Amino acid sequence: MPRPDDLQFNMFHFMPYIHLPEDHKKYESVWVDFPNSIYDPVKGNKLYTRYLREMVLADKLGFDGLVVNEHHSTSYSMMPAPSLIAAALIPQTTRAKLCVFGTPLNLEYPHRVAEEYGMLDVMSGGRLEVALPLGTGMEYWVNPINPATARARFRESIDILLKAWREDGPMAYEGEFYTYRYLNVWPKPYQKPHPKMYLVGTGSPETIQLAAELGMGYSSVFVPISRQMQALADLREQSPKYGHAFTRDKAIIGVMCYVAETKEKAEQEWMEHLFFFFKDALRTTPRYLVPPGYVTPAEFRKRISGPNLHGDLSWDALTQQFFVVCGTPDMVAESISTWANEAQSSRINCFLHLGTMPHWMTVKNMTLFAEEVIPQLRSKAPELQDTLPKAAE
Amino acid sequence: MTSFAREEVTIGGVKTVYLTAGSGEPLLFLHGGGTFHGFEFAKPWTKNFKVLLPYHPGFGQSGDDPGLSSIQDYVMHYIELLDHLGLDKVNLVGFSLGGWLAASFATQHARRIKKLVLVAPAGLRIKEAPTVDLFRIPGEKIPEMLVYDFEVIKPHLPAGFDVDFTVERFREITTVARIAWERLHDPKLPRWLHRVKVPTLLVYGEEDRIVPAAQGPHWARLIPGATVKTFPKAGHLVLDERPEAVEAVQRFLQ
Repeated sequence: MPRPDDLQFNMFHFMPYIHLPEDHKKYESVWVDFPNSIYDPVKGNKLYTRYLREMVLADKLGFDGLVVNEHHSTSYSMMPAPSLIAAALIPQTTRAKLCVFGTPLNLEYPHRVAEEYGMLDVMSGGRLEVALPLGTGMEYWVNPINPATARARFRESIDILLKAWREDGPMAYEGEFYTYRYLNVWPKPYQKPHPKMYLVGTGSPETIQLAAELGMGYSSVFVPISRQMQALADLREQSPKYGHAFTRDKAIIGVMCYVAETKEKAEQEWMEHLFFFFKDALRTTPRYLVPPGYVTPAEFRKRISGPNLHGDLSWDALTQQFFVVCGTPDMVAESISTWANEAQSSRINCFLHLGTMPHWMTVKNMTLFAEEVIPQLRSKAPELQDTLPKAAE
Repeated sequence: MTSFAREEVTIGGVKTVYLTAGSGEPLLFLHGGGTFHGFEFAKPWTKNFKVLLPYHPGFGQSGDDPGLSSIQDYVMHYIELLDHLGLDKVNLVGFSLGGWLAASFATQHARRIKKLVLVAPAGLRIKEAPTVDLFRIPGEKIPEMLVYDFEVIKPHLPAGFDVDFTVERFREITTVARIAWERLHDPKLPRWLHRVKVPTLLVYGEEDRIVPAAQGPHWARLIPGATVKTFPKAGHLVLDERPEAVEAVQRFLQ
C-alpha cells in the first residue's frame, strides 16, 4: 500500500438533530417542511455541547481539518450558520484547519461572507479553509433566492468574494445582481491572498468547469463514487486548460467509515446508524431536491432517469455506490488508499460521526482512525503526534 | 372542425411557434403557466376570428431564452410579435399567468388592443382571496386542482410516470420561476390598471381552486367599466370545462 506523505484527513461533522418523534416516518421529508416544533432546544443544547467536544477531540487526535457545513430547515444538520461553529472551535483548538464547507454564497450577501470568513481567518491565525456551495435544492425552498437564477448569482457572488479578498479596497463593483459603491471588506484574511478555496457540489459539469476555471479545488458531497471520480477526472483534465495546475490537494473525496476490532463488530455497531443517516436524515422528496430552474431540463432528465439516492438503499447498494467502509483498521486503510489513489486525491473528508451514532462510538471511531488507520496511509506523522494526548480529553 | 396550422417565427432571437386558424379580426390568446392541456377549447373562436395561439418562450414548442425573466420582458416579446406579424390591433385574451401578462400589456399598449378578456388572471395580490402558490403544490397534485371535473383533464395526462412529460413540466415551471419565483403578483399593477381603457371582460370558474373567482370584483374595480362573468361547475381551466365560457368570450369580442 503506497504511503504518500501529503495525505490529510479532515473530520467532517454534520451535527444532526437526532431526537425525532417515533412517528417521524410519516413525514416524507425531514427537510424544508419538517415541523420545527419537533426541535427541543434543551436537547439541542446537549447535542451542540457534545458535538463541539467531538470536534475538539479530533483536533487533539491529530486530524488535519475540522469540517462543518451549512443546511437549513432540517434535522439533518444543526448548522444553518457554520461560521458560528467554526468561531466556537477557534479558542478550543490549536492546530487543525477550520474547514467551513460552507455557506452557500447566494444565501448571504457576498461581502458579508467575505467579512465573516475574513474574521475567522484572522481570529484563528490563518487556520481557515473554505468551500463554496451553490446550496442543495432544499435550501432554495426555505430562502427567498430564485433557484432559476441561482447559478448566475452564485458565479457573480464568487467574483465579488475573490475581488474583495484579492484586491485592495475601496473599489466599486457593478454586477447583474449586486452593486457595491464601496467594496471594502474589513478584515481581509490572515492568509494571503486568501484561504485555500474549493467549490463543493454534486458533480454538475458546470460547477466542475467553474472550479477548473478559477483554479480552485473541488469536493463532492454525498454523491456516488462514479460521480465523484468523474468530477475529479474532469477537474484534472480541465484545470490546465485554464492555466491552473491540478494538484492532489485540489481533489477532496468524502468517505464514510467505521473502525472496530473486527469486521463483524464494526457492522454490528455501525449499521443501524448508517441506515438512519441514509433513510431518515437524508429523507426528502424529489421536488425539494430539485426546485424549478435549479438544474437545466437536460440535467433534470438525467436525474429523474437515475436511481433515487435519498430513499431506501440496501447495504450492497450503499457500499457499491458510496465511499462506505467498515471493519478493522487494515481493511479501512486499504479501501481509503485505493480510493485516494484512483481519485488522485490527498484530501480525505472523513465522516466519522453519522446519524444516531452515540458519543462513545464517535470517540472510538475517531481514536482508532487517528491511531490505527492514518499511520498506515501516510508516511509522515503530524509533527505534533507524539505530544498529543492519547485518550479523549 | 378546423385544425390549427403551425407557424414559426424568430422574435428577438427566440424561436416562437404559434398555432393559427380562422379568419376575421385577430384574436391573440396568451396561455398560462402550463401548456399540456392544449388549445382545443379555442376552436369555436376560429369561426369569427383569426385566432393566434403562440407558445411563450420557454413553453411548449417555442424556444428557451433565460434572458426573458420578467412579465415586462414578455410584454416586449409580444409587442415585437405583433409588429413582426403586422398586426396593429388585436383582441387580447389572457389566461392565468397569460392573464397577468395581458393585463400588463394592456396598461402600456392599450391602443394595440381592441377588446381585452382576462380569464382567471394571476398578477394581483388579494388578501381576502389569495391566489394559490402553485410552487408549493407537488406537481402530481396540480392537475386535479386545475379542474372541477377531472375527466376534462385526464386525456392530457400520461397514464403513469412519463419522463418526457415530467421534463417538459419542469421546463415550463422553470420559466414560470424565472418570471415569478420572487412574487406571484405585481405590486405595481393596481396603480396602473386604470390605464386599461378598452372594453374588458373577466371570466372565472366558480370552483377555481387556484385563482378564486372572488378576485373578479377587485379587477373590475381597478379597470374602468370591466365586467365579470363566472361559470358554475368549472375550475381554473374554465375555458376547457365550459363551452358557454368560450362562447361568452366570443360574444363579448364580436
